[in-house]
Amino acid sequence: MLEGSVFAVVGLGFALVFRVTDVINLSQGAFCVLGALSAYTFEETLRWPVPLAIAGAVLVTVAYATALGAVTFVPALSRLSHSSMLMLTAGILTLTTGGMLVLWGGDPYSLPPLSGERPVELWGIHITTQGFWIAGTTLVIVLGFWFLFTRTILGKALQACAENPMAARLMGIDVPRMALLSFALAATIASLGGIMIAPIASLQFDSGNYFTISGFISVALGGMGSFIGAVSGGLLLGTAEQVAAGYISSLFSDAFALALLLATLLWRPRGLFTLGRSRRIDVRDDVLFYQAIVRLNGRGAVLCGVAAVAVLMALPLVVSDALLGSLVITGILFIGVLGLDVLMGYAGQVGLCQGAFMAIGGYVAGILSTTYGWPPLAGVLFAVLAALLAALVLAFATLRLRGVYLALGTLAFGLVIDSFDAGMMNVTGGPSGLVGIPPFRIGAFAFDSDRSMYYLVAGLIVVLVLALLGGMRSGFGRALMAIRTDQMAAGALGINVVRYKLAAFAISAVLAALAGSLYAFYFRFLSPEMVGTPRSFEMVTMLIVGGEGTLVGSLLGVALLTLLPTMVQSLALYKTFAEGLLLVLAFLCLPEGMFGGIARLVSRAAVRRRGNRLMAEAGAGREVQ
Amino acid sequence: MTAALEASRLSKAFGGLSAVDDVSFIVPQGSLTAVIGPNGAGKTTVFNLVTNLYQADKGEVRLFGERLGNERAWQIAARGVVRTFQTARVFPGMTAFENVLAGAHMHLRSGPAWQMLWLGRVRREEARLAIKAERLLELVGLARFRDAPATDLPIGGQKLLEVLRALMARPRLLLLDEPAAGLNDAETAELAALLRTVRGTGVTVMVVEHNMSLVMGVADQVIVLDAGRLVTAGTPRAIQQDKRVIEAYVGQEEGFPDHAGG
Repeated sequence: MLEGSVFAVVGLGFALVFRVTDVINLSQGAFCVLGALSAYTFEETLRWPVPLAIAGAVLVTVAYATALGAVTFVPALSRLSHSSMLMLTAGILTLTTGGMLVLWGGDPYSLPPLSGERPVELWGIHITTQGFWIAGTTLVIVLGFWFLFTRTILGKALQACAENPMAARLMGIDVPRMALLSFALAATIASLGGIMIAPIASLQFDSGNYFTISGFISVALGGMGSFIGAVSGGLLLGTAEQVAAGYISSLFSDAFALALLLATLLWRPRGLFTLGRSRRIDVRDDVLFYQAIVRLNGRGAVLCGVAAVAVLMALPLVVSDALLGSLVITGILFIGVLGLDVLMGYAGQVGLCQGAFMAIGGYVAGILSTTYGWPPLAGVLFAVLAALLAALVLAFATLRLRGVYLALGTLAFGLVIDSFDAGMMNVTGGPSGLVGIPPFRIGAFAFDSDRSMYYLVAGLIVVLVLALLGGMRSGFGRALMAIRTDQMAAGALGINVVRYKLAAFAISAVLAALAGSLYAFYFRFLSPEMVGTPRSFEMVTMLIVGGEGTLVGSLLGVALLTLLPTMVQSLALYKTFAEGLLLVLAFLCLPEGMFGGIARLVSRAAVRRRGNRLMAEAGAGREVQ
Repeated sequence: MTAALEASRLSKAFGGLSAVDDVSFIVPQGSLTAVIGPNGAGKTTVFNLVTNLYQADKGEVRLFGERLGNERAWQIAARGVVRTFQTARVFPGMTAFENVLAGAHMHLRSGPAWQMLWLGRVRREEARLAIKAERLLELVGLARFRDAPATDLPIGGQKLLEVLRALMARPRLLLLDEPAAGLNDAETAELAALLRTVRGTGVTVMVVEHNMSLVMGVADQVIVLDAGRLVTAGTPRAIQQDKRVIEAYVGQEEGFPDHAGG
């Protein structure tokens, strides 16, 4: 119940930002933790008096959130689609989490209770006094919100921004300012929630993910944008988790909550506690769709491709053994990201469960070849089939969901798989992982060295990239790009939207499962955090940083995020921070990704070099557009 | 010969508001039929009813003699009925050329698996379609925008692009929803020429349009709707002299305006 109050508070923050900007702000949970950790520093390290420490911590969090919001969140609002905004806030979450890792390290922290350790006895039940503080704070926040939105002009202005930003602007409301205000206000209450919960739950730098997910589930249960819904959803979730932990298993309590969420999203996407007033979810979500068009055609591209293959084949001869290992990992992840590019970059369906499909692939192949002694190749094939089946079920179930709701559905699916990875101890080895996986082998040949594994992965990549390039540059790719933004217009041209969506889901899941099984065979070990939801987010980051909708571009993103931390060991601490920063920067400064940026530079240079001759003759830039 | 489109006693209400009320008409094969009427007359609703975007409350639609059930959009397109939309709906993130090519989707003979193998068959098919798409772009003067992002085209260009895209689908019945809205005079002239060419190839065209000079110049048959009801249907000449039409359209007898506002 007490945790539920904090979920409710975080959920309120979600609802607030959603109400004003129509964006689901995933960075919410990070502010909880930032508040709590700052309070710890002020209270325990600097020995400030408690009220001052709390005030200071809230102030620090709000100042940080406001500054960050002003340079990232608010300017992006007018430029990015809602699904991109969701990713951007995921970037802010990662960035903040990584920053806290640098500042506070990986240790868990706990604050002393506000009014002593001694529980009070009430009707014969012992209750920790911190409980009253938590409940009280939640109540004050809820009442404050109610007052703000029903009794003040400011509340009306905030509301107007959500209903119709354009009209609100015309009425003289400073929409960006209201957006920033909602962002900061949400951070304020989140930090308060974090500070209040810290005495009964120890927090560490990445607890924010947990609060974000729980708060988000609360608000999704209750109904996006509804304050009452957020609060009731939070309390419901808290209770449900406790009941599940008490009666089923603590490992499955998450799965229970997530199943609740999935069911809600599928049957009542608008939430359990919303009546009447509803948002339309069938409008084209990506009105602000923007994607740079990067096309490489002609002889130049073929030459580049041949050169790339040659480099790929020669690399193991020149690099060190340690680096070769990292290159194998890069290659394996790239296979998974390739699938994600078909789903996200071409078909425009946000998939936040690529890690889950990797898990299905890795665990099924690993378990079949370890426990049941199947030949690895058969294990991989079966794993791919299993993932395909799971993907089709998921795709069918989420067919009606679009944009952010789809993102949420896939996220929930990913989290359910996560909790199964950890929860099914007897089958998967639980949190400590599946050990003793044999090396991959085909017939008598075992891929048990880095070098043989490298050539296997490189060969697969060449085949996959060629096949996908063929498909994406012809009718298949055009059909996917058509349903990406306008399913109605696509249908009017005879494109079977359902079939192509399913195809995109299937390709992404198959490639993820392939990557997951290779991953398991390469490490001869698989643990839940290797293929969990953080991995899904990392893969999305790689794709976006590298360049969506280009197939080969994401290799740059994968390589950057995989090789950099291994090459420069001292940077490992900054990895999370850098990932978040890169994602945010990619959205703000380089929407076409690294690949698009490079292609643009190359095409400009090419046009300049060939000069006016070509410009006059055939219309410039046709070869490299 | 069966009619391309036969609507009998179509009715559709939204809430208590009747958008289309007991409307019947026939679009003969090979004709160019225009639907006119003031704002709110139910023109676009008729389009949405015959393409199953809405389900009719009453009445039935026959497309080339076959009764329309609850087919999905792509199934209706597969019957040869292709439509455009009132606001230009080109696909963002694709070039103008790719947008036109996307229209040929139904006629691709090689499926995704073959396309991935990029065999000679696929290459030849793509090349053939590319030539056709380029020819169409040239026909309406959009060739110079070939590799530009479709959404960078001026609004008139986008609307023409949408018509080209629909043509690539080789429709038997082409439904155009206000194709001239947002077009400048030169573009409107291109459109008129294009419509005549299209009808010349035997395609039946039905067009909702506000631009009277365009309608009167190219249509064989004009259907007039007002407040959801059919006022009359006939040749452009007959319509121009019909008192009921003038009343419905301008509300008073002042003769027919050359350009009714769109």
